[in-house]
Amino acid sequence: ARFHGNRRSGRWEPAGPRPPLAAMFADGTAPGADVESLWRSARSARCEAKSCQTEQISTAETAAQSHTSRDAAVQTDQSKDAVQDFQQEVQVDYTSLLSFLQRVEDSVIKELSKNWKSHAFDGFEVNWTDQNEAVLCLHTLSYPEAQDQNLQVTSVSWNATGSVVACSYGRLDGGDWSTEKSYVCTWNLDRRGLNPQHPDLVVDVPSSVMCLAFHPSQPSLIAGGLFSGELVVWDTSRTEDPVIWRTGMTDDTHTDPVYQVNWLPDAKHGNHSRLLSVSTDGKILVWREERDGRLALAEGFAMVAQQIPRSTQLKKFTRGETAVGVTSLSFSHFDPCVFVVGVEGGCSLKCSTAAETLALPPTGNSVPLRAPAELAFSPHGGPVYSVSCSPFHRRVLNLFLSCGTDGQVHLHSMLQTQPLISLQLSKKYLFCVRWSPVRPLVFAAASGEGNCNKCFCVIGDVYLFDFEKSSQKPAVSIKQAAGEHPVYCLEFNTKQTRLLAAGDATGTVKVWQLSSDFTEQGPREVNCLEQLASEVTD
Amino acid sequence: AEVEETLKRIQAHRGVVATIVINAEGIPVRTTLDNSTTVQYAGLLHQLTMKARSTVRDIDPQNELTFLRIRSKKHEIMVAPDKEYLLIVIQNPCE
Repeated sequence: ARFHGNRRSGRWEPAGPRPPLAAMFADGTAPGADVESLWRSARSARCEAKSCQTEQISTAETAAQSHTSRDAAVQTDQSKDAVQDFQQEVQVDYTSLLSFLQRVEDSVIKELSKNWKSHAFDGFEVNWTDQNEAVLCLHTLSYPEAQDQNLQVTSVSWNATGSVVACSYGRLDGGDWSTEKSYVCTWNLDRRGLNPQHPDLVVDVPSSVMCLAFHPSQPSLIAGGLFSGELVVWDTSRTEDPVIWRTGMTDDTHTDPVYQVNWLPDAKHGNHSRLLSVSTDGKILVWREERDGRLALAEGFAMVAQQIPRSTQLKKFTRGETAVGVTSLSFSHFDPCVFVVGVEGGCSLKCSTAAETLALPPTGNSVPLRAPAELAFSPHGGPVYSVSCSPFHRRVLNLFLSCGTDGQVHLHSMLQTQPLISLQLSKKYLFCVRWSPVRPLVFAAASGEGNCNKCFCVIGDVYLFDFEKSSQKPAVSIKQAAGEHPVYCLEFNTKQTRLLAAGDATGTVKVWQLSSDFTEQGPREVNCLEQLASEVTD
Repeated sequence: AEVEETLKRIQAHRGVVATIVINAEGIPVRTTLDNSTTVQYAGLLHQLTMKARSTVRDIDPQNELTFLRIRSKKHEIMVAPDKEYLLIVIQNPCE
């Protein structure tokens, strides 16, 4: 047995019989106390048994799906009468208006009379921009590959925003059916890092491009007429194949090279434009765009010798049904139905799109061609290469210029056959003449080739003429290229009015910046032009 | 009728190209030009007249704009201002 208790041993002794001590302590067991458990009976007396259960949850399955949708776009049409007549709608108090006018009338009349007699501003001119005296060559652009192939610049065109110039390479002196490749190159002059030898875009064309025209409002569309008689429209914003429309070689296509292509606003279809092409096969064709990238013939005109109205002075035409080759065309800016064409026979003709008579003989085109000529003007001594209608002239007295291989520029009024002014600019052929878009009295002409009698002609390739300064000789002659290289085409930039682009036979396009006197309109210029026109007719 | 007479007299003066009357809000009330040109002149000249008027008042609060003339290369524009209306006359002065 172990004892747990005090360590001090010795107190307790191992149990054994001991002598009885005082009987204070005795062993005994006591019965325990018992409490009876009542919980089971109590439970049944006081409690009840209950149970609960959730009811069945009702469920149902359904599915939902959005409806099929369709896209639709809405665009308002540009209405013609956008601005309503406001005068009836504004509520006007007549009495107050009348009293205002009565108060003001006298002082206004006094000012008007004073102004009419005033000499205060005579000879007073303000210079808002820096006066720039000389004509500078800003850029000399070329495409070396085309130059290596001895290609010439046949046409230049500025785009709708005035920042991109495009030129077409081809040959103007290739007589035979040429299968030479050619190029259309564009340069963006407003870009930094313009590399004049490296065009921004080069389009390879299987045949020679003879003429180019940028779309008047969409800056990336450009149309070109080919040596093969086809028309192609390129979209310069497309990086892959830029061709978007072409006429292809159908029965309707021209059988001779296309020398001029123009965009026409299409009156019926709002934004769509039509293309007009002019060729020496005598036909002037208007094309519309079809869905599959084709250009289809919409209407057309044919110039036939016997249908050209003859005045008693003109005896130059061969009789019969020979086609008369058309080399250039210009629409009148005031009457969209009237246009002037220049023909190989040397005269210019006034024509109308509203002409009804059919051309003879009936050509094999899908659309019957009409004979548009109304009036023949007195001829040049050689084929007419370029005509240009003045954008400034008011009223009916429309003016246009024509130039040709006789080195002369004729200023004609559309009302009479004799020219108003006939200028012998040079002994060389004149390839292109254009009116300035800002100054009514200024035009530019491009010349070259031909026999030049050096004693007589002014050395130069691009002539700028100003009727205000002199009606006999050019104001400025610009030499474009060293040597005797003709300049074939030129175009004024209508947005940046100082720029003039000219392309020549060496394959370069030069962008000239004109001096301020060529770009700022004088106060009475349009009146001077009218006076010039009327004093010569008298 | 008298309104038209007065305007006709002004319009018939030598060199006058156009006459426009606009109200205080810049809305044309009478004009001899086509709608779009009139609206353009009305908007621009109304703003310019208000600016001119406030310029005169800023320099001297006792002063008031009586007449505004703009001379350009091609013609002279005269504006007679008022509390409720503005009369604009465009004249081609004799050179």
